[in-house]
Amino acid sequence: MSNEPESGVGSLQRSGFVVRKERLYGRLIAACAVLTILVTVGIILALSGRAFSFWSQISPIAFFTGTSWSPVIAESYGVLPLVSGTLIVTIFSALIALPVGLAAAIYLSEYASDKARSILKPALEILAGVPTVIYGYMALVYVTPLIDSFLPFSVELIPSGVPVLPEFTFVMPSLGTFNALSASIVVGIMIIPMVSSISEDALSAVPDSLRQGGYGLGSTKFDVSTRIVVPSATSGIVASYVLAISRAIGETMAVTMAMGMSPQMPYFPNVLRNLAESSQTITAAMVQIAGADSYGGGPTYEALFALGLTLFAITLTMNILAELVRRRFREEY
Amino acid sequence: MATEETTSDQLGQSAELRLQKLKGQVFEVALVAATLVGIVSLLVLFAQISNDAFQPGTASSTWFLVYFGTLVAPTAAFTLYARRRPAVRTANALAFAAVFGGLLLSFVTYAVVDALSPYDVFIYAFFASLPPALVLAYDRTTDKQTYTGPLLPVSILVGIGVAALVDGPISGLVGIAAEWIMYFGLVTVPAALLVAWRTASRRGRRTGAVAGGVVAAGALAVAVASISLGTNASLLVVLYSAFAVPTGYVIWRSVKTNPEGRIGVAGPFIILGGVLLGASIVEQFAIENPDSYLTPTLLLESWDGLTASNAGVYPQIVGSIIIVGFMAVLAFPVGIGAAIYLEEYAPDAGLRGRLATLLEVNISNLAGVPSVVYGLLGLALFRRTLGFGTGIVVSAAGTLGLLILPIVIVSTQEALRSVPDDLRQGSYGMGASRWQTLREVVLPEAIPGTLTGTILALARAIGETAPLVIIAVATTKYSPPSGLFSSATALPLQIFAASANAKPEFRHGVVPAAAVVLLILMLLMNATAIVIRNKYGRTN
Repeated sequence: MSNEPESGVGSLQRSGFVVRKERLYGRLIAACAVLTILVTVGIILALSGRAFSFWSQISPIAFFTGTSWSPVIAESYGVLPLVSGTLIVTIFSALIALPVGLAAAIYLSEYASDKARSILKPALEILAGVPTVIYGYMALVYVTPLIDSFLPFSVELIPSGVPVLPEFTFVMPSLGTFNALSASIVVGIMIIPMVSSISEDALSAVPDSLRQGGYGLGSTKFDVSTRIVVPSATSGIVASYVLAISRAIGETMAVTMAMGMSPQMPYFPNVLRNLAESSQTITAAMVQIAGADSYGGGPTYEALFALGLTLFAITLTMNILAELVRRRFREEY
Repeated sequence: MATEETTSDQLGQSAELRLQKLKGQVFEVALVAATLVGIVSLLVLFAQISNDAFQPGTASSTWFLVYFGTLVAPTAAFTLYARRRPAVRTANALAFAAVFGGLLLSFVTYAVVDALSPYDVFIYAFFASLPPALVLAYDRTTDKQTYTGPLLPVSILVGIGVAALVDGPISGLVGIAAEWIMYFGLVTVPAALLVAWRTASRRGRRTGAVAGGVVAAGALAVAVASISLGTNASLLVVLYSAFAVPTGYVIWRSVKTNPEGRIGVAGPFIILGGVLLGASIVEQFAIENPDSYLTPTLLLESWDGLTASNAGVYPQIVGSIIIVGFMAVLAFPVGIGAAIYLEEYAPDAGLRGRLATLLEVNISNLAGVPSVVYGLLGLALFRRTLGFGTGIVVSAAGTLGLLILPIVIVSTQEALRSVPDDLRQGSYGMGASRWQTLREVVLPEAIPGTLTGTILALARAIGETAPLVIIAVATTKYSPPSGLFSSATALPLQIFAASANAKPEFRHGVVPAAAVVLLILMLLMNATAIVIRNKYGRTN
């Protein structure tokens, strides 16, 4: 990119005026670029100032290990229920999006015709473009009743009569108005394109010679796709997974609307109950505090920034991780 | 199939081979299913949400028959006719863009200017355009080397500053004039100048001046006629200048330059005429309309949380448009500037090269920061540090602008990267400086890509809710924002707030209708971006 037109020989030297003018333009444009650093600095300053003032009132140990989040009523600021809520949504949306997104990427890169790709790619992009508030509304009003019409659902996996083994029944209780399942489903749909587009880039970057080699050895297309192309693109696929998970962690409106506002520690051992009941994520708690209009200050308001800093730290770590994975394990062709 | 059978015969048709083949087929079917599952489930949800919004089940079958006869059948016939005639399709596409783009532009301009008060907008527009015009005129007349280029944005800022100073004293004076004169100045004058410039470049200055004069005189005639008829002169002047003039221009050009395809300009009018004819027949014979929730009331009234039939989202729509528009003004210059620096100026090595790498990493990280966190930044920056009021347009636009900045930068970088280096080298070879190359060669080539990316960023911004909730933008307001420092509300916020309303006519009526409006806004932007990409897209 670094073209050096100004390095002319003496007689070709531009007039001082033009050089000054060029330098002025260059500085103006560089200022725009430096502004983006200021945004990051601004985020860190804005979050940390109030977050640390919060942690000087509520000890960080109590914040990060407390199991009860009830800022207004009980003034207890334990973040674990919120973290578990975020984890539930992240895990179940990842269960949907990661395999589906990878399969879509394999299809688009290995199987689809040019015409199919030109239609399917923009269509998949639309999934990420729909406003999240609409996803939240659809989860609340359409997805929950639809799934609930099949529930409760119980199957005796190991019947009670069998000796030695304890009886085990698979039970999916019926859904509450607000539940983690429909929130996870819409978040999963929303992050499919993140997985599919980045993975597809990685798969398409695998050189054709590897594929041809596979075919030359008599492999089927299935074998070439699953045993040659996908392993060669692992770094890109993992990076796309990390980025998609990071997006799911930061997702706000859909989980606020569909999952409700009741922070809860996860239920064990009946994991499915977590899906059927309302819970609260970190982001939803932030929306709740901001919406409650407690701007007078005080620990509740400052808790908003402590949560924000936690969230920022998590997503930043994941983004850097994705970048490192991509750089460290990239196969050079 | 037959050939494959023979090859497998030759290789010895073992059961294993057939198993392999089956495995491959199952795998491919599974891949297709996975690709489609997200799209199909979203389509199903869209179908449900629009079913709730339009309630087509409540219409009588005659209603469907009428619209099938007036709208669907003629449109389908025309599409079939145009399908195999590229000339017709070209003319049709141009006319489509002019007619529907013009209609949309007219209504958006009118709604926004009406909300912000036409007198204020006129004063600001006048003072913001006068200094750059003077600077440009000076640049044209002088041969001296001047700083007119960098002076242009400065002069605009100075003009806006002057406008802010004199707005108070002058507005009383300007206020004497009728409202439509403001719209004449805001919409008709630019339209007339544009027509004059386009005509002048083809037919010489005199014809250009005449064409511009004709456009302006037409606007005056429309205004006089509408005043004598007692209709809304302002809206008609806007419609004339932003809808009728471009439509007329495009049709005239198509008919002159594209005689084979001239029938194509009828396309948009078949649809418009079909809708109007259908509506008049339905009215005439008292055919039962569907109990749709997507009504003029919804689009033109303000919210009513108790009666669904009175609830509207006009202030929210206009608020969203003003916020996103002002956000574009704030974010695009900075974003495009940063992208130009990274792609064209930043060296690869050395201290500044390392700075550029840092900037790149920083931007990709900013793109991954959750939107709520930007809300907190906006809260701290605009509310705490600058001391702005709660939920005003400037804070909302600034917060969203910071949010979309990385998207704008990345897409502009891609557009700049796709400009072939030969063009730059050619320009340098001709003795152009770096800035001249950028302005005359690189940027014009990169504009379509940049536009596509930035429109997609706008589409993202119009649906953002979380940051607006965090900076405490009001959900329900009964009038659109009256200025950049007055409090605003946005459409997605109203959807969020109203989703808690469990009344069936809200839950399965008004809120889906509002969601459909938001989706239409977003899809329109996406479609525009895709059209620009397909039309001007580079294929290298």
